[in-house]
Amino acid sequence: MSNTDTARCAGGAAVSGPPLRGWARIAATIRTIIGAPDYAAYVAHVRAHHPEREPMGEREFVAERLNSRYEKPGSRCC
Amino acid sequence: MPRWLSALLWAAISLTGAGAIAFIALQRGETINAAWLLVAAVCTYAIGYRFYSKIIAAKIFALDATRATPAARLADGRDFHPTNKWIVFGHHFAAIAGPGPLVGPTLAAQFGFLPGALWIIVGVVLGGAVQDCVILISSVRRNGKSLGQMAKEEIGPIAGYTALVAVLGIMIILISVLALIVVNALKSSPWGTVTIGLTVPIAMFMGVYLKYLRPGRVLEVSAIGIVLLMLSLYVGRWAGTHPVLAPMFTLDGVTLAYALMVYGFAASVIPVWLLLAPRDYLSAFVKIGVVVALAVGIILVLPPLQMPAVTQFIDGTGPVFAGKVFPFVFITIACGAISGFHALISSGTTPKILENEAYARFIGYGAMLTESLVAIMALIAACVLTPGVYFAINAPAGLIGTTAESAAAMIATWGFTLSPTELTMLAAQVQESSLLSRTGGAPSLAVGMAKIFSDLLGGTNSMALWYHFALMFEALFILTTLDAGTRVGRFMLQDLGKHIWAPFGRVSWYPAVVTSSAMFVACWGFFLYQGVTDPLGGINSLWPLFGIANQLLATIALCVGTTVIIKMGKAKYAWMTILPMIWLVIVTMTAGTLKLFDPNPKLGFLAHARWVAEKVAAGELPPGVSDAAGAARLVFNDRLDAAVAAFFMISVIVILVDSMREWWAVLAGRKPMVSSEEPYTARAAA
Repeated sequence: MSNTDTARCAGGAAVSGPPLRGWARIAATIRTIIGAPDYAAYVAHVRAHHPEREPMGEREFVAERLNSRYEKPGSRCC
Repeated sequence: MPRWLSALLWAAISLTGAGAIAFIALQRGETINAAWLLVAAVCTYAIGYRFYSKIIAAKIFALDATRATPAARLADGRDFHPTNKWIVFGHHFAAIAGPGPLVGPTLAAQFGFLPGALWIIVGVVLGGAVQDCVILISSVRRNGKSLGQMAKEEIGPIAGYTALVAVLGIMIILISVLALIVVNALKSSPWGTVTIGLTVPIAMFMGVYLKYLRPGRVLEVSAIGIVLLMLSLYVGRWAGTHPVLAPMFTLDGVTLAYALMVYGFAASVIPVWLLLAPRDYLSAFVKIGVVVALAVGIILVLPPLQMPAVTQFIDGTGPVFAGKVFPFVFITIACGAISGFHALISSGTTPKILENEAYARFIGYGAMLTESLVAIMALIAACVLTPGVYFAINAPAGLIGTTAESAAAMIATWGFTLSPTELTMLAAQVQESSLLSRTGGAPSLAVGMAKIFSDLLGGTNSMALWYHFALMFEALFILTTLDAGTRVGRFMLQDLGKHIWAPFGRVSWYPAVVTSSAMFVACWGFFLYQGVTDPLGGINSLWPLFGIANQLLATIALCVGTTVIIKMGKAKYAWMTILPMIWLVIVTMTAGTLKLFDPNPKLGFLAHARWVAEKVAAGELPPGVSDAAGAARLVFNDRLDAAVAAFFMISVIVILVDSMREWWAVLAGRKPMVSSEEPYTARAAA
């Protein structure tokens, strides 16, 4: 697969396409730091690399991300 | 920068750092300013980062900016996605920094500020940051594998299983001791209890808001959450003086312990969007905010340190916890110097989002240095209290009695002055009924922070608000570790249990979910209850167990790191991980042996069990115990604690022997010296 787009980082996530600007960029940054799921980045990834697939819906995506986050040690420390 | 200028600059940093350390170490009898500690720490960190971490980055792993990271190669828009260097740093720091670096240094302040400060500064440069960095790079080079997987694949199945069971054991002890700290902070404090209690409905409101009202608006709902959090501070104050509500929320330790168990159980069984996730967002904001505020406060106020550099309690007679400065300062302060738990983070999310492996040095080594600085600031905040006040808050009631007068009399025999009125006045200032024996570190840190903040903003009248603010944020992120940890523990139990009975492993089958959650809560709840009802205060037995457990995990991580380095053919640099590993083995084994076999009942678990049994045989009861059943429970708890310590020590030996066998086989040529790294793939140009 071609990684030219995903390797570029725009304000916090592997967003293909034009980099985010201004508030959107700051918001994406904060979201990543606090560990909130980034649906836009996921959709952008699927569209760019797996055009044959339909991305999950937002609710489904968020639920999947959150469940996986609290399943294993490694997201939280003492 | 020209070469000579750079050389000059680093020479100046070295001289400043060395000068500050020399000044701190040689100063006797006078109070020194916190600035000296900060300068010594920051200069040492700079030198460690510039020169020591370079060996890891350049000589051992030869970090290569042209090499594709798993984030790019395996990008899936979910776990793996390349992320900006600074954001990964922020994420990694928010994940590793918890209550550990705040509580450990506060407890270790009983030895004076010098032993703790030296261990934090030296330990991080030679140990903690090395561990975090090596594990991060090892995981990045192995598609983001976890520590457990790496232990199994690099060392062997025995090490792998030991690591798995050790992690489970550590989680149990960690959660129980953190819960104990919250209980001690909220005991008979209606203001604190109401404020912390309100954070639960606030989080649930945020969860519902995110799920149904405005999906995806994480920042918007976090802003609302933070405003509600501040409001809960005022609601707490109002309730704390309310004629009906105040007595209702003035709870004893046992009630609070049960409340926390119910909370942990609920967090483990209800969906994560409702409670865990929103709490986590809130906690991340509050955590970063408070760390920054503390840094600004300390830098602007530059308070003098009231605690002497070294107290007489280095001889092991300290009231906060028993044991000499060696090995117990190295057990008491884990997070901030070296914390094995970080190896789980460094092999968790971070390696999967790292955009360029050349940044691993900045993130792995750099974030740990930052956490160490937080530990230094916590030490400073604890040491701005006069020793008299510090010991009055942190010594158990069994030692100093339950009145300001008895405490002052006892503390005077230790050579520190405390006037009973000073203590009563301080308690009134922070609007608590009493500050005596509020063990666990959180309250004394909150008083110290309130002193610093009120110096800066609001004056003495604002002490109470600042105190409860500090207490709220400590409790907030302790509870975040407690609830997320209980859920993780439940998954680990289910994963182990499915080998015995397959349906037990079904993660969304309610009978299995409820049973495994209840089992895990019962495990830590048992130790929590034991701590709350312990006449010696609980921290004395549980915190060292937690320290030993955490250092055991660090030993595992350093064994994995050493194995990775040897198999890469870089054995001549393996001393970098072997050095801290040997130190930790010495420390954990010495501390473990003392906790097990020391004849002093205050220190040795078995000696304490014998002492209680002898008292009962002689027809009396130990202080703080009301009946024979209570005494029998005490004996059982001592023996259980001894067994836990022994288990951790055996784990250290198993991992060490298994690793050495593997190293020997590779170095002697009986096993091929092949690195299990993913082969090099060129990184697409950005």
